[in-house]
Amino acid sequence: MLALTERTIFVLMVAVFGSITLWGFFNMYRIVRRGRAASKFQNLIPQAVKAFLEVGLQTPVYKSRLILTTFHAFIFFGFSYYLLVNLNDLLEGFLPGYSTAEVSTGIIGPLNFLGDVLSIGVLLGVVVFLVRRFIAKDKRLEFNKDVLLYPAVEKGGVKRDSLVVGGFILLHVGSRFTGQALRLAERSIINPMQPFASALSFALRALPPSAFTSAIHASWWIAIGLIVVFLPYFIISKHVHIIAAPVNLGLAKQGERGHLDPAVPPGAPPDLAPGAATLADLAWPRLMDAYACIMCNRCQDVCPAHNSLRPLSPSALEINKRYWLNENFTGFAGGAASPPLTEFAISPEAVWACTTCFACVRVCPVGNEPMADIVDIRRRMVNDGAELDSGIQSTLEKIGKTGNSFGQAARNRAKWAATLDFKIKDARKEAMEFLWFVGDYASFDARVQEITRTVARVLKSAGVDFGILYDGERNSGNDVRRVGEEGLFEQLAEQNIAAMSKCNFQRVITTDPHTLNALKNEYPDYGGKWDTIHYTRLLAQLIDEGQIKLAKKLDYRVTFHDPCYLGRYNKGFNPPRALIQATGCEFVEMPRNKENSYCCGAGGGQIWMGTTPPGERPAENRIREALAALATLNGHGGNGAKPDKPLLFVVACPKDVVMYTDAVKTTGNEGKIEVKDVIQLIAEAMGEELQTSNSQLQNAVPA
Amino acid sequence: MNIVVSIKQIPNLTDELEINAEGTGLDHDALQYVLNEFDEHAIEEAVLAKEATGGTVTVIGVDTTGELDGALHTALAKGADSAVKITGDFPRGTDSHTQAKLIADAIRGMSPDIVLTGVQAADDRDGQIGPMIAAHLGVPYVGVVTGVQVKEGKAVVHKEYAGGVMAEFEVALPMVVGVQAAHQPPRYAPVSKIRQIAKTAKIDEVTGGAGPRAGSTVRRMFKPESAGHAEMWEGSPEEVADKIATLLAEKGLVKRG
Repeated sequence: MLALTERTIFVLMVAVFGSITLWGFFNMYRIVRRGRAASKFQNLIPQAVKAFLEVGLQTPVYKSRLILTTFHAFIFFGFSYYLLVNLNDLLEGFLPGYSTAEVSTGIIGPLNFLGDVLSIGVLLGVVVFLVRRFIAKDKRLEFNKDVLLYPAVEKGGVKRDSLVVGGFILLHVGSRFTGQALRLAERSIINPMQPFASALSFALRALPPSAFTSAIHASWWIAIGLIVVFLPYFIISKHVHIIAAPVNLGLAKQGERGHLDPAVPPGAPPDLAPGAATLADLAWPRLMDAYACIMCNRCQDVCPAHNSLRPLSPSALEINKRYWLNENFTGFAGGAASPPLTEFAISPEAVWACTTCFACVRVCPVGNEPMADIVDIRRRMVNDGAELDSGIQSTLEKIGKTGNSFGQAARNRAKWAATLDFKIKDARKEAMEFLWFVGDYASFDARVQEITRTVARVLKSAGVDFGILYDGERNSGNDVRRVGEEGLFEQLAEQNIAAMSKCNFQRVITTDPHTLNALKNEYPDYGGKWDTIHYTRLLAQLIDEGQIKLAKKLDYRVTFHDPCYLGRYNKGFNPPRALIQATGCEFVEMPRNKENSYCCGAGGGQIWMGTTPPGERPAENRIREALAALATLNGHGGNGAKPDKPLLFVVACPKDVVMYTDAVKTTGNEGKIEVKDVIQLIAEAMGEELQTSNSQLQNAVPA
Repeated sequence: MNIVVSIKQIPNLTDELEINAEGTGLDHDALQYVLNEFDEHAIEEAVLAKEATGGTVTVIGVDTTGELDGALHTALAKGADSAVKITGDFPRGTDSHTQAKLIADAIRGMSPDIVLTGVQAADDRDGQIGPMIAAHLGVPYVGVVTGVQVKEGKAVVHKEYAGGVMAEFEVALPMVVGVQAAHQPPRYAPVSKIRQIAKTAKIDEVTGGAGPRAGSTVRRMFKPESAGHAEMWEGSPEEVADKIATLLAEKGLVKRG
C-alpha cells in the first residue's frame, strides 16, 4: 500500500525514534539500578506466571473502582489485541496488495471481528477516562491541600500527560478504525465481521472517489506512524506502565506482608546508613514503583491519613519521584544524587502521618509499595537525629528505659492479673502449652485490663494450659520498627527472644495483633521461631472442639472491625467472625471489611503522637460507617427508627478498644453503640461456663 | 572550648517508690535508676554549644548504680566526645555533697571552660551539686538557666525567674551552669547508635576518694498521710445543691434566704 518514499520515511523514523527509545529504556534501567539491593527474589518463574495471569485477568485492577476498571479492561484487552492488529497494519503498509479489511471468512474473519469490537471498546474506555478527568473532574484525582507536590506535578503535569496519552490512543485507534471503514467505503462493501467499521463506512461513501487513496494513507500514518513518534515520549509518560506494571507485579513483595525489609540490605558495608534520605537509598524495586505508577490515586482513596485531610498521599509520593526522575533523567542514571526525599517527594509531616496500615500497598493495581519508602525515610530520620514528634520521642525513650510504651516499671506489667481468683502460670518457672504474649496495651491500659482479665478467665475455664512472662515481657517492637527505630526494635526482639527461649512451651498466643505480627513474621529473623497465633484463632478452635461451651445466646446486632495487623497483614479474617456467629449475635458487615478494612488510625506509632490533628479521625469515620451499616440491615428500619436490640462495635485488638471507645464519645454516639472486644461476647455467652471470677474487682465495683 | 557535663542517675519516678525498712530513705535496691531529666537538658545544651562554637564535650558522673555506662553511652550517641565515670564505694542515693566533691576533684585537672549540670534532681531536690562544684573550683555559678551562648572567654546565660521574667548574664569563664532546660528539646539518640558506641567507645574510669558526707541526715521518710476523709454526696442535683447550701450556711459563709 505504501509508496517507496513512504516506506523509506517510515524505516528512517523507526531507526531514529526507536534508537531514542532504546536509549531511554537503557537509562531507565540504569536509574532503577541506582537503588539499593532488594531482598532476594525467589521462584521467578512461578512469579512471572502469576504476574502474567494477574495482568491477563486484570485482577489487581479489580481490587477497587469496579466500573472504571471495566473501562480500563476494555482498553487493556483492545491494546493487547492491537499488537496483532498493528502487525497486520504493517503488512498492509509494506506488502503491495495485501488488505484484510474486507475479509469475513477463514481465520481472518473472526480476527477482524475482534479487532473491530475491541477498537470501539478502547475508544469508549478512553472517552470515559477523558470525560472523567476533564469534564466530570473526579475529585479522587486531586490531592489534599498541603500535600507536597514537585513543581512539575503542581503545574498539572499529570493532567497534561493524561491528555497526551488519551489523545494518542484516540488518534491511533480511531485512525486505524477509520482506515478499515475507508477501505470498505472505497469499494462500497460491508463486512459482517467488521460491523462498526461497516457502519462508519456508509457515511464515508460520500467522499469523492479520488479522496480515498490519500485518506487511507493518512489513516495509516496517524495510526502506525504515530506509534513510532510517540515511542520516545513513552519513556517519560505514565503510559510506560504497560511495561513497568507487569514487571513490577512479577517482582512484587514476596513472603509475609508483615515482614519489613531490613533497614540496610543484607551484606551491605557496615557504614551504610540505614533507611533512605535520597532516591538512591531506596531499594531498587522502589524506583521501579515510580515507573509502574499509573497515578490513579487508588492508594490515596484507602489511606486513613488522606481521608483525615492530612498532607499524606501515597500516590503523590510515587508521582513526585517519577517527575523528579523525568527532569533529572540522564543525570540520575549517571550517578548524580537526588535532593532529600523529604524536599521533593513527601513532606516530613506526611512521613509521620502514615499508620502503616498497608491499605495502599494492598490496593495498588501495579504492585507498588509506597509504605516501604515511608518506613525507610523514618528510619533515616531517626538515625540522623531529626526532630521527632514529642510523643513519639518520649514513647521511644520510655520503651528504651522500661521496656514498655507506658513508662511503667517492668514489675507492674502483670498487675492486671492480681485481682483474678487464680494464679496465672509463670512461664519462666513452669512448663506450659501456650505462652501468652500479652502486649503493652493489654497489660497497662486501664481501659483494656478488664478485657485482658476476661481473656485469662476464658482460657482458664476452657482448661487451656497457659502462662505469661510476667515482668520478663517487653514491648514486641512492632510499632517501634514502623516508627523507624530499627535499633530499639532489634534490642526488644533480642530481649524478648532471650526471655522466651528460656521457657518451656509449645505455641505462642497474643492478644495484640501488632505483637502477633512481630512475633510471627519478624522474630524468626532474630532466631525466635515459634508457632504464633492470635487468641481469636485459638478460641475458634476451642469452640469447634467443644472445649468452650456457649450456654447463652446473645441478642445484639454487631459489626466487626478487622484490625490491620490481624486481618490485612495476617489473614485472620475468619476466626473473629466465627466467634461472633457462635454467640448467636446478629452479624452485619461494614462496607469496608476484611482486605479492605479501614485503619483505626493508631498504627505505625500514631497512637503515641503528642498532637491530634484537626479533622475527622479515622476511628470516628469508622464508627459512622458502623452505625450506618447496622441501621440499614434488611427488615430493620434505618431512618432514625430505634433499633430493636443493642448495637455493638466488636474489635479484636487492645488498641482498637482504646481508639473506638474514644471515637464513640467524640462522635456523640454514647448510648447508641458500644465497643466490645470479641472476648467479652464469648465470656457473656459462656454464662455459667465461665467458672473463674475476678473476685476483688467484683467486690469493689457494685453492679 | 572545653565543655564538661556533670550527670547523675535518680530513681525512675514512674516506678512505685518504696521506703526502706528503717524508714529513713528510699528502698534503692527495689528501684530502677534513670538519668536525671535536668541532666539530659544539660547534655543537650552542651552539645548545642559545641555545635555552635566548636570544642569538646566531656560527660562525667559518679557511678552509684553500676549502670552509669548506659547513660554515658547515650550521651556519647547524642554528640558528647568523651565520658568519664567515677567509681568507688558509692551506693545508690549517694548525697549531693559527696557527688559534688568527687566531680570537682575529677574535673579540676581537665581545666574546663564551662561546666553544665542539671539545676536540680528529683531525688534530693536540694539543687546543690552545681553550686558546690562551683565552690570547690572557685568559679561563678548561675542556676535555672534556659540557654547558654559561649564566645571569647565569656558565656551569656539566660536565667528564668518566676512570673516569666528573664535575665541575661554575661559571665567570665570558667563557670558552672545549672541548666533548667536546653534551648531545644533534648534530641533522641537512636538505639543502634548507642549499641554501636557501647561496643566501641571507651569510658575513662577515675577512682574517687572519700567524700565529705552531707551536712544533714533524713530522720524519717514517709508517704503522704491523709489528713481527713472526703465525703461523697449522692442524690439528684437539687438534693446535692441543697446540701452544699446548708454546709455553706453552717460554716457561716452565706446566709440561707
